[in-house]
Amino acid sequence: MDMLGLFPVFYFPEFGTAWLMGITGTIHVLFSHTSVGAAILFAFLAHKAYKEDRADLYVYMKKYGMFLLIFSYVLGSITGPGIWYTATAASPRGISALIHNFVWVWATEWVFFVYEVIGVFALVYFIGKIDRKTHLKLTYTFALASVGTLALIIGIISFMMWPGADAYFTTGSASDAFFGVNTFPHMFLRIGFMIMMSAVIGIFIASAMKKENPPLAQELTKKMGVVAIFGGFMTLFFFMWYINTLPESSHVLLSRLLPGIIMSRLILTGVFTAYFALAIFKPTWIHKSLAASMIVVILVAGLWPGEKLRESLRKPFVAGQYIYSNQIIGRDVPGKGIKSEVEVVAKNGLLKVSPFVPESLRVITPENKLQAGELLAKMACSNCHSLDKNGKYRPLSKLFPMNDKGALVSYMKDVIGTGSVPYMPKIVLPDDEYDAIATWLVEKNK
Amino acid sequence: MDATILNLLRDPAGVPFYPVVFQGLYVLTWALHIAFVLLALGSMGLSIYGSTQQKSDSNWKLLTPHLIQTGKLSISILIVLGVAPLLFTQVIYDPNWYTTNALSGIWIFIFIYALIVGYLMYYWYYYANKAGRASNTLIGTISFAILVFCGVLMHNFAVESIQPDKWLAWYAPNGVVDTSGLNFHYDLIRLAFMVSLVIPVLGIFLQNYSDFLSTRKDFTSKYIEFTKKLGTKTAVGGLLVSAVLFILWMLQENMLLSVISLATIAGVVVLLLMAKMNKNSYITTVVLVVVALLISGVREIIRYNLMADHGYNIYTYTMNIDWPSTIMFLLTFLFLGVTGVAFILRMAWKVGKNEGTVFDGQNDKLTRVLGTATLWILVAWMGIYFAWGMFTLFKNTLV
Repeated sequence: MDMLGLFPVFYFPEFGTAWLMGITGTIHVLFSHTSVGAAILFAFLAHKAYKEDRADLYVYMKKYGMFLLIFSYVLGSITGPGIWYTATAASPRGISALIHNFVWVWATEWVFFVYEVIGVFALVYFIGKIDRKTHLKLTYTFALASVGTLALIIGIISFMMWPGADAYFTTGSASDAFFGVNTFPHMFLRIGFMIMMSAVIGIFIASAMKKENPPLAQELTKKMGVVAIFGGFMTLFFFMWYINTLPESSHVLLSRLLPGIIMSRLILTGVFTAYFALAIFKPTWIHKSLAASMIVVILVAGLWPGEKLRESLRKPFVAGQYIYSNQIIGRDVPGKGIKSEVEVVAKNGLLKVSPFVPESLRVITPENKLQAGELLAKMACSNCHSLDKNGKYRPLSKLFPMNDKGALVSYMKDVIGTGSVPYMPKIVLPDDEYDAIATWLVEKNK
Repeated sequence: MDATILNLLRDPAGVPFYPVVFQGLYVLTWALHIAFVLLALGSMGLSIYGSTQQKSDSNWKLLTPHLIQTGKLSISILIVLGVAPLLFTQVIYDPNWYTTNALSGIWIFIFIYALIVGYLMYYWYYYANKAGRASNTLIGTISFAILVFCGVLMHNFAVESIQPDKWLAWYAPNGVVDTSGLNFHYDLIRLAFMVSLVIPVLGIFLQNYSDFLSTRKDFTSKYIEFTKKLGTKTAVGGLLVSAVLFILWMLQENMLLSVISLATIAGVVVLLLMAKMNKNSYITTVVLVVVALLISGVREIIRYNLMADHGYNIYTYTMNIDWPSTIMFLLTFLFLGVTGVAFILRMAWKVGKNEGTVFDGQNDKLTRVLGTATLWILVAWMGIYFAWGMFTLFKNTLV
């Protein structure tokens, strides 16, 4: 009997497991992007402070730096590996594919990361303790190292979307996987967002300094407003380029979602343009509470839907367009000697090829059908769908509320089983396994 | 779980370089990571005691905030250093790591958010202590408890990962599949030994601290002597406790007479003598690093042997060597890693020795050279990155 390297399933009730990864990822994006953007901003401020002999700017940098240390570096550095952990629990073979293609890229990023984390403490605590020229040199290297971390991770997350060219499938080379057509637009899109985020945080810090140094707070609020406009424009510009470098399968889903995306982005652009204009022209109007609220707006209305969209667009795959979201390998990658597993599953069924299925469930009987159906649904669907009746995350019961088992089996067999929905994995199962899933779902819908 | 299944759980993409290199990097980076875990917990734990003494004792008044600052920095460093062993273990022991993560999925999630809460509370503790608030001890204690809990969770993942014979029973007890991710298992002696190491690491750190400040005129000799004695007492007592627990652990693993176990015991004896005499704590620290590497090696040998008993051999992992990314790592590690870290450490050393005055890095040749070299290495790195990327893109899309 052929067996496959499928891991046990971890399922988080009501929400589904992918949700855990999504929330960790979104928090990480907010803080990691802020930290890279702030590193660039620091280099700019340190340059200005050194050239113009502005002692007051160092005070601002120290305050900003402490904020960064507490939030960006605590939350950012923990949620970074946190994504690994949660992604591993939710999608072990997806993360494994990334690790085994890019281990050296990640190890290189780690070197940058070490420099960055030690560097940020030095940058903040050495203000006033080392001469300004050496400090300036430190800020330049810190900015370059921070951008380096982005330069390294961007190829990996772009590969999650797709390798960007066919070369990777034949060569298996990390370079071909890393530098796809999507990599650079994605990189500059994120740099734009990082610059904008650093300025949004910068406005918050400046607003907190209003009492102790009003002229400096005003000057910096204005400057940050300009920086934010520049970053925001860069984000929008590269977003348009980025959209055009997505794979074919994404465009099917995108064409359905695009009108809603355009509308929500237009509203966000309007709100933030007004906010940044306020910062430039009426800096005294920016109160700390408004500045803090705008950070939350970015997180909730900008990042969360953005990251969810990116996650949806790469479906049915989770990595490199060869690992399906349900952990089954969906195509050959000759360059790495990887073979599609769809046919093995079709021939034997998931229950027989998964090492962690107990013997009592390998053969479906009338007695174990419900139990087998539930396990099959967890294995085949739970990475993207909540299995609980009122689940929050694309619940199966809401997508298929019917009680007609025959209709469910036909849908699974003729639509999902033929790969007719571009954003769904092609799940070909033996008849008894389709039947078990349908039986379980009908029972659930009662 | 037999060898066929374990090998099947390996990633079909293979590994991009010789598995032994990943194994070596794992041992090295885990040792570095655990050193800062122990220092963080040790300095934090002692600072909590210090926070109850600092009002009436001038020595503790000075030492407590320094310990809190040490803990704060160490947590950041342990997190960043912890990324590396986490990466390398996934490369060669992926069947173990991924199975464990699924079996304990909910604990994985709790671990991340507990770490965030624990570390944020630590900053709160730092500021509360700075402001002299009475609540500081309580905040510090809660933060400490949360961070210790995170350590226990990591122990759980490590222990589960080396018991492949029990995975199926944990996942489907009595044939009923449990996808809750609530599995939690521990090995009390191994955990006790690891936790006990907090004490000697803290002791040797205090000896270093005392030696470092002894050249500064703004610290009294009384204070230097206090920290020196405290360090020696802590290091010696801690080493004795750890040695006993290590022997118990090795007896449990049936490894007491193995070469690496005997070498570790010998290392601990040398450490004990050096810590007791305390002639040059910096050399003691070098020996401590060697012992940490040996302990990391012991862990790895236990895992390697256990997996070999199940027919899983990391050295037979399929290889698809990827030279460009391998070279990128090695050169970055060598040039940026060494030069960049040396640049910051040089500044930190000089600032620490400078008794409150501004350190002029431009007048210090080594700082100047290291800073400039780091900057140019980074500029060159960026240039190579974009050139490599453009070349690959053109090759794959235009040619």
